[in-house]
Amino acid sequence: MTTHASQTKFGKLAVALRNLKRNSFRTTVLVSAIAILVALLIFATFFTMSVSSTIEKASNRLGADLLIVPVGARDFAQEFLLESKQKSFYMPKEILPRVREIEGIESVTHQTYLETITGLCCDVAQAQIIAFDQHSDFIVKPWLQNSIGRALGPGEAIAGSETYENLGLELLEVEKTIFNKRFKVVGVLERTGTGLDNAIFMTEADLEQIVAGGSSPLKQDQISIIFAKIGRDLDPYHVGLDVEGNIIEVDVVTRREMGSELLRKLSDINKIFVLSTVMGAILTVFLVWAIFSAIANERASEIGIMRAVGASESHIVRLFILEVVLLGVLGSLIGTALGTYLFMSLTKSFSLLRDLSVPVLSIRPLPAYLLQQTLIGAASIAVGTGICIAGALGPINRIKRLEPHVSMKGSLLCRR
Amino acid sequence: MSQVEISSLNKVYTVGGEQITAVHDLSLTIEKGDLLAVVGHSGSGKTTLISMIGGILKPTSGTIVVDSTDICTLDDAQLSEYRNRKIGFMFQFASLLPVLTAMENVLLPRIFAPGGGSNHHRRAEEYLDVLGLADKRHAFPGELSGGQQRRVAIARALINEPELILADEPTGDLDEETEADILRLFHQLNREKEISFVIVTHSSEIAAECRKRCRMSHGVLEQEV
Ligand SMILES: Nc1ncnc2c1ncn2[C@@H]1O[C@H](COP(=O)(O)OP(=O)(O)O)[C@@H](O)[C@H]1O
Ligand SMILES: [Mg+2]
Repeated sequence: MTTHASQTKFGKLAVALRNLKRNSFRTTVLVSAIAILVALLIFATFFTMSVSSTIEKASNRLGADLLIVPVGARDFAQEFLLESKQKSFYMPKEILPRVREIEGIESVTHQTYLETITGLCCDVAQAQIIAFDQHSDFIVKPWLQNSIGRALGPGEAIAGSETYENLGLELLEVEKTIFNKRFKVVGVLERTGTGLDNAIFMTEADLEQIVAGGSSPLKQDQISIIFAKIGRDLDPYHVGLDVEGNIIEVDVVTRREMGSELLRKLSDINKIFVLSTVMGAILTVFLVWAIFSAIANERASEIGIMRAVGASESHIVRLFILEVVLLGVLGSLIGTALGTYLFMSLTKSFSLLRDLSVPVLSIRPLPAYLLQQTLIGAASIAVGTGICIAGALGPINRIKRLEPHVSMKGSLLCRR
Repeated sequence: MSQVEISSLNKVYTVGGEQITAVHDLSLTIEKGDLLAVVGHSGSGKTTLISMIGGILKPTSGTIVVDSTDICTLDDAQLSEYRNRKIGFMFQFASLLPVLTAMENVLLPRIFAPGGGSNHHRRAEEYLDVLGLADKRHAFPGELSGGQQRRVAIARALINEPELILADEPTGDLDEETEADILRLFHQLNREKEISFVIVTHSSEIAAECRKRCRMSHGVLEQEV
């Protein structure tokens, strides 16, 4: 018989589900409230974690203890390296030996940044050019090694991983013209998770030729940034102060300071998140409480009947908790999905996230990432369900104590 | 062997500072297999009495000894189990859960019964068939007539095979034919399964068919044997 399956399943769960179905409007309101709250929670958590971990990873991956830039370019440098905003800033190359002389500095390398100009000079879309010194370089080398396994030759360029996609360089080994000089794009740099992903790399020697040709706005012997490694056990902050003290033309950013501006913005946003989540939680508890108070009164006689046919107080509580948990879990699941979706889709419209050089989801090794997301999801479901239970506990406790005879009679008399 | 032994039972309701004595110093013995009718005017305390016997209302004083245990001393879990396993209750008013089908209402006491047993579905179907509700198994209470709802409540009272059925004006708003059917069923269950019955009724005809009769007036019980 077809009905038999549904009959065998009849139990507390079936009763709870029927009760949820009986007033679908009320159920929808509760589920939506919890879903919105959980979505907010998920979104806020993802947002915060992504931004801070992206900044941390990016600054670690650069592999330099100090960033030395022209005075006033401190923010530009960070914006380029972390947020991939195109920036140009220059200082004379003669600063380089002066940095090298400072105590504690172990090795230095420099890069020169140049924005391409779409039009006559170049046949690549607008991008940032990075010229690096192959002899001293320790920033690009590890990535280069992984991509083409050798140094970059004269007339060769390599594209950052994002640039490759953005510029539509489908074919490797293509010829490109950059500032009237022919370049062979020999490969794509592995993803670095920094602003380097959005640049096209060439050797300093090639850049010098471009500068000599006069087709770029750049002057001879200008560089943009010096990366420095310091001796073990030295405090980057103090070495940085030393550098700034000795060379007034530069500003220094330590690895730890990198992204501090972003993190400051983030902590303000976090306060707003925390405040709205807490307020949302309080409102939701109140909503659940109000609705379950109404439900408890409405069902007084039914509860009396159940008690009369053998339900104990704890049976009644369990039935209600089951109903509440179903609501909470359903709302939390929807909220988790909604929050994740919002995060994914809004990532592009929040400048703080959009400008981060790496797609936030590509940072971690996948299993760890999935584990983390699962934990966040589970925690959110626990919070959503917990809030539901917190709101419903009062009314449930009130109703379970009624003597069956009284609760039955009370509302039966009202009804008839 | 006496099944239920009630001694010096009192119930005083307090409503807004005023005290109403609904049952006064009542003693009664129900033997196994009894078919007892309780008659009396409205407000004489009949519902109050069987509610206390059924464990859904705490007496103000007195004892109700069932199987050598005073049910007034049981805790909530024990008392609930007593209601679930030993008592079948038929209430004065419609008492089905509106969100459950006839079948599910019949099975409701099973939800609260400690595990075991698997033929409840078959039994529930049988009872509904016997009560003429074979085609109403999946109907909701709102789709049933008053008489049909009562019969579902009877099937529900029987599902856990109780030892004692407490029926509070079970045929109060039914037509004579249905009333006769139900009474026939009670007599049959009483005979074949040795289920004891306490039937609260207004009808002297029903009372006349019962083996024992009592009358309540103003909370006091008069045996009429
Ligand atoms: N829950 C209650 N609270 C207060 N008074 C009640 C309650 N139930 C019954 N009574 C009162 O107790 C008396 C007996 O009622 P009841 O047992 O319902 O009588 P019957 O079933 O014989 O009509 C009546 O006076 C009634 O008003
Ligand atoms: Mg009554």
